[in-house]
Order: sequence, then C-alpha cells, then structure tokens
Amino acid sequence: MSPGNGESRAAQQRALWSAAKDALAAGDHPAAMRKLATSITPQDGFQAQARVAKLFALLPLASLGLRPIKMAILANSTVDHFADVLRFWLATAGLEAEIYIAPFDTTTQTVLDQSSELYQFKPELVWLFSTCRDVPLDFAAGSNPEVMRTKIDAAIARTITLWQPLLDRLNCIVIQNNADIPAHDRFGNMAGAAAWGTRTALRLYNAELAFAATASKPHSNVVVFDLDHLASEFGKARWIDSRYWFHSKHAFSFDAVGFVAHAAAQLIAAAKGLSKKCLVIDLDNTIWGGVIGDDGLHSADGIRLGADAGADGEAFVAFQEYIRQLKARGVILAVCSKNDLENAQEPFIKHPDMRLRLDDIAVFIANWKSKPDNLREIAATLNIGLDAMVFVDDNPAEREMVRQQLPEVAVPEMPDDPALFIQALAAGRHFEAVTLSADDLERARYYRENAERQVQRNAFLNSNGNNGDDSSNNLAAFLDSLEMIGEVHKIDDANNINLPRAAQLINKSNQFHLTGTRYTEAELRALVSNQEYLVYCFKLRDRFGDNGLISVVILKQSDSALHVDTWVMSCRVLGRTMEEFIFKVLSAAAFDRHCKIITGHYIPSAKNKLVSNLYKRLGFDAVSMASTLGNDSLQSTRWQRAVTTQTSTDQSLHPLQPLQSSHPSLNLVTHVRTTTASDL
Amino acid sequence: MANANATETSIRHQMNVIFQSVFDDPSIQIFDAMSAKDVEEWDSLSHITLVLAIEESFGIRLKTAEVGGLLNVGQLIALVAARTGRS
Repeated sequence: MSPGNGESRAAQQRALWSAAKDALAAGDHPAAMRKLATSITPQDGFQAQARVAKLFALLPLASLGLRPIKMAILANSTVDHFADVLRFWLATAGLEAEIYIAPFDTTTQTVLDQSSELYQFKPELVWLFSTCRDVPLDFAAGSNPEVMRTKIDAAIARTITLWQPLLDRLNCIVIQNNADIPAHDRFGNMAGAAAWGTRTALRLYNAELAFAATASKPHSNVVVFDLDHLASEFGKARWIDSRYWFHSKHAFSFDAVGFVAHAAAQLIAAAKGLSKKCLVIDLDNTIWGGVIGDDGLHSADGIRLGADAGADGEAFVAFQEYIRQLKARGVILAVCSKNDLENAQEPFIKHPDMRLRLDDIAVFIANWKSKPDNLREIAATLNIGLDAMVFVDDNPAEREMVRQQLPEVAVPEMPDDPALFIQALAAGRHFEAVTLSADDLERARYYRENAERQVQRNAFLNSNGNNGDDSSNNLAAFLDSLEMIGEVHKIDDANNINLPRAAQLINKSNQFHLTGTRYTEAELRALVSNQEYLVYCFKLRDRFGDNGLISVVILKQSDSALHVDTWVMSCRVLGRTMEEFIFKVLSAAAFDRHCKIITGHYIPSAKNKLVSNLYKRLGFDAVSMASTLGNDSLQSTRWQRAVTTQTSTDQSLHPLQPLQSSHPSLNLVTHVRTTTASDL
Repeated sequence: MANANATETSIRHQMNVIFQSVFDDPSIQIFDAMSAKDVEEWDSLSHITLVLAIEESFGIRLKTAEVGGLLNVGQLIALVAARTGRS
C-alpha cells in the first residue's frame, strides 16, 4: 500500500483489516494474509504494526504454505513487541517463525550456560540483538589512540566470544547487531571528528565487527545486522524514544519497529535461501520517459533518456544504472513490455544513453499479451518460481493486475517521479544476501544462457509435426545439440575447493532437494573427512556456456548399502537428463565399493514435490512409507535399488548406453557425456 | 460546565474505542476505576501498546513518569483532558 495522505489512508487500512477479518472468518487464510500484507508498509507507525501483528496471530499458519524457522532473540533490551511484529514480516517473506526470547538482559549467561532454555529450544538462528548500549566505548578528551584501539579490540573480543559456543552447540546462523551510533554526544561534532571521539570509536568498532564476522569460520554462518545503517535510514533524531528506554528498556523507538522488523525479515529470508532472484522491468516510462512506439528514438520529442533529455532523462539513466548494478551482483533481469518487439529493442541497440544492453536481459518479452501471462512465461523460461520475481512497472493498473493474479510476485509501489524509482525499489530489500559466491556473480549469465537454450529447445520441439514419437526424438535431438559435458568431483580433505559452493547449494535448494537436509560449511567439512561418507559435486557445461556447480550428493556407506543422505540440484539444469547422469555415477560408486543396494529417502516439504517421483523414475522400489512427525498428510518414503554389474564404472562412463536395471522397461538415458574418468 | 462535560464525554468515547481496539474486544465498556486487574489482557506489555495508542489517537506525548504512573481509566481521561486543553 502506498503511504498516502493521513485520513484516507487510515480509512483504507481499516477497510483492509476488516476485509482480512472477513476472509479469516470465511476460512480463506491466504486472502486474509494478502489483505494484511497490502494494508501496511514497514514505515507505518507502531499502532498499525501492532494491529496487523494481532490479526496475523489469529491466522492458522499451516494454511499459508510458509517455511518454518525456529529462532531465538537474545537482547539486553525489551523486544517482545518487536517479536510480534517480526513474526508478521517474516511471514510476508515466506517464513513461519517460532521465536524464543531469552529473559531480558541475560544474553551472556544464556549463551554460556549449556543447560539454558536456549539450547533446549534448539533454534536454527540466533539473533544477538545488541545495541550501542552493549558497546561501552567512551574516552576522555585527547585519549591516546593506542589505548583507544586496545579498548575497541577488547569490545570486539567480548562480542565475538558469544559466537563460537552458539555455532558449536547449535549449528545455527548467528545474526549480530552492530552498534547504532547515538545521535547525541557531549563533544558534538568532535565526537566524530577527533581520533578519540565516541563516534569515531563506534565507527571503528562497527567496521571491525564486519571484518570479524567475515573472518569467522564458517563465515557464512555469522551475519552482521547493520543496525546503525537502519537507524540512519530511519532518522537518528527519532530513532530512540528515551521515555521507553527509561520506562521499560525499549532500545529504539516504537515507530521504527516495522522498519527494523521488515529489514530483519528480508535478511533472515535471504539466509534461508528465500530472497528474490529476478527483476522484471517494464520499459515505457519505467526505464525511459515516454512511449517508444509513439515517440520514437531520435526526434526532438523522442523518448527521454540521458542529460540531453532534461532532468528526468538523467533520472532514468540513474535508474538503469542501478538495475545494471543489480544484474552485476547476480540478479537476473527480464523485460516485460506491451510493445512490438522490434520497437522495444531498438533503444537497447541504438540509444547512446541506454545503460542496459540486450545481453543484460535474460528474457526479453515485448508483445500485447497480459503482464501476468508474460510473467508466467518468464518464470517458466528461467525455471524459477513466481515467488522469486520482483516486477517493476510505472503503470498502477498493470501493478494491480499482477498483484491480483500473481500474489507471489513482489510488486513494489512506484512513485510517479523517476527520480524516486531507485528508492522505491530498494525499500523492499528484495535482493538481500548473506554471502556472495563467485557463482552468484555469474548467475545472471547462467540464466541468460539458459533462456537461449529454451529458445533452441522450442525450435527443436516445433520443428516436426505433432506425432508423439517425433516430439521425443526432437527432444533427444535438442539435448544432443547442447553438447553437454558433465563433470564429477569428489570433495575430500585434499580437494575441497568446491566445498563452500556445495554447502551454499545444499542450504539454498528447496525444490530439487529430496530430504531437506541442511549442512553448514563446517559440518560439510567434517563429513568429507569422515570415512563413512562420500561427497560428490557435479558441474555441467554445454555449447551455450558453463552452468558451474549444479548438484551435490552426500552418500553414506554402511556395509553393503550406499545411502543417499542428501541430493540437491539446481533447477536451472532440470530436464537435461543430469539426474540420470548423476545416478549412473552413484551406481558406479556403489559398484566400486562392493555395495549391493542403493537406498534413499524422499521427505516431502512444501516445495519439493518436483522430486517426489525421482527415485521411481530412476528404477528404485518404494520400501516403506513413514508418516512425517506432526503432519499426517505428508508421507516420507524410503526407496532402494539393487546395484547390478551393468552399473559398473565402465558402463557409467558411456552414459549414452541405456542402463540395465531390475525394471526392464526402464530406459535411463542421459545426454550428458563426460570426458574425464573421475576418481570415484 | 456543560461544555466541559461534553468534551469529557467525547474523550471517554474515543478512549473506549482505543480500549476495544488495543484489547481486541468490542464488548469492553470503560469506567473510571477500571484498571489492569479488570482487563485480562492488560499487562505491562499491552500497557505500552495502550499508552502509544492514546498518544497517537489524541496527538499528545505523555511524560516518562506518566507512562508507568497511570493506573486507571479515570486518571487516563483526566490526563488527556488536561493535555488536550479540553477540560
């Protein structure tokens, strides 16, 4: 909802809340959640946040299909009201949170005492909600810089001593606040100008904290929450309401509660692999001023872009530059415009002030179909969920249509002045991340290449009549035309260069993930050293490009059985017979280890239906069904398959040979070849 | 005098709406001696929500001492009346 004018906005909010209540009464919980989400922005004051949190608490969360997360908040200030609001914002980010709040002002004891309730609760995320009050750095005028540095180091040491026990005992993600530098200091300007000033010291502390978190092992598990930056964004002058510090130890203003909760929710969602992946942009009046089809490129009244076109022409360039930078850090870009394709692409090719070029765009759709239809098409082409997309359009009617028809897509409210577009898009914090791997930076390229493959695939599939055989032949011909090369790498103590990316893939995968297991980098490191376990990662390249590391399999050998503990694969290589390739490698590994059977589990989650039939497809037999704890509707299944001599290493390295199996009708063909006989 | 009664009545009415909303109970009817022991949900946390709602609704700011010092509805109404100049 756009922050509009006072009275009418308040009335709109009340109407949405009563609509949410009606939907709740009617049992339509997703609709109730949508009404609540529409009714509020992070900037809204505490009354509205509390109201929404209260209505949200009435919703049976199981009906919303959210991913559960157990988290703890440890604070030396009061966070109870905040936690209620946080729960709501986490839900908008896709998470159903169970939150444990440690007793007020017991952070250190709670962490150090192994018998504390924290460890019984077993959270997967612990938020050390500290503030500047927990970092007592204060120096007399003219203090010696050496003394000051020693004290800053000591303050850092105090903060980080709490990380290791949490990481060791809980194998959790730790979120650590930095210090929200106070607005007032007795030295005034000097507090930030003098080497010994308190603001100087706290700035050093905050910088050192970022270094310490990055240096911690495994570093991806400690994330600094930049509270100081949030306080600045919100406005330091109103960040703290001292009355409620003195009265009840609330460390920041109630009116900042929604703002902080939203920022935290987006970061936590990112840590759980739920951040957005793709930005879909409209063209006319979104990335340039005017309508290309009407105004044209060069005439005096052509589209407005660049300094020659006036102030808003510069604003559009700045917005494009921001989008280009998002792409450079791994966000996939797509275009969805109501235009003729040729008109729409012309500025990308010819306009000198365009910052975005055609090869920045993974999928470019310009036609006259509805935007929701085109967004579905983009999601299908990129093989990502609609819930991984953000849609930016200057036209309120288009935004509304997408919100109504595709509620999973994030649709930021755009102001009518292009100078404010960056701010409006950034305010949603859709693209938060806790780490960036080399792969993230390459991601946009992978997806663009994938979209090119998709185009080729469609060309192959449509090249012959409608005969069923033809289409499967065409598919095979398409797959062969990709000239795919698979690589297998065993990860062990000696070869662990792929380990961080492997850990990241395990923790980010939701759809192609048979068991939902999560391993931190440290745990994975321990597993590869363990004789009982085998960890493989797989890479795939083809004539369109390199997909990088796209699958990880963790195997556990016990006597004559090889058990698939974890199998994740990136959805960007689905439908390429990579699963069959991987299975052949697993079979060969089993054969080489004299195993008689391969076993595996499928543990259903809200998102992994995609692989419910994977084992069946690969010729496994279901051996038992076990009810998953607490949810009778989700059946966990156990599968096994005999290892036969035909699945030996030799055979597997000729992957185009059909694989013999106990199911004679099975014809496991992979179109992925391998060039090197890896050491299995 | 009649005028003062009228404003007191309007404050009381507005206050009742706030109570119903904060405690999410449309059946609440406030009275002067009403205090935390009369409303099940009125604890130290919801007290702050209540105070914030009153501040926002009447456009006033309570002093630090007043935030925790207000023990019943009568005191709240008197304070709002004094602060809004409606008494």
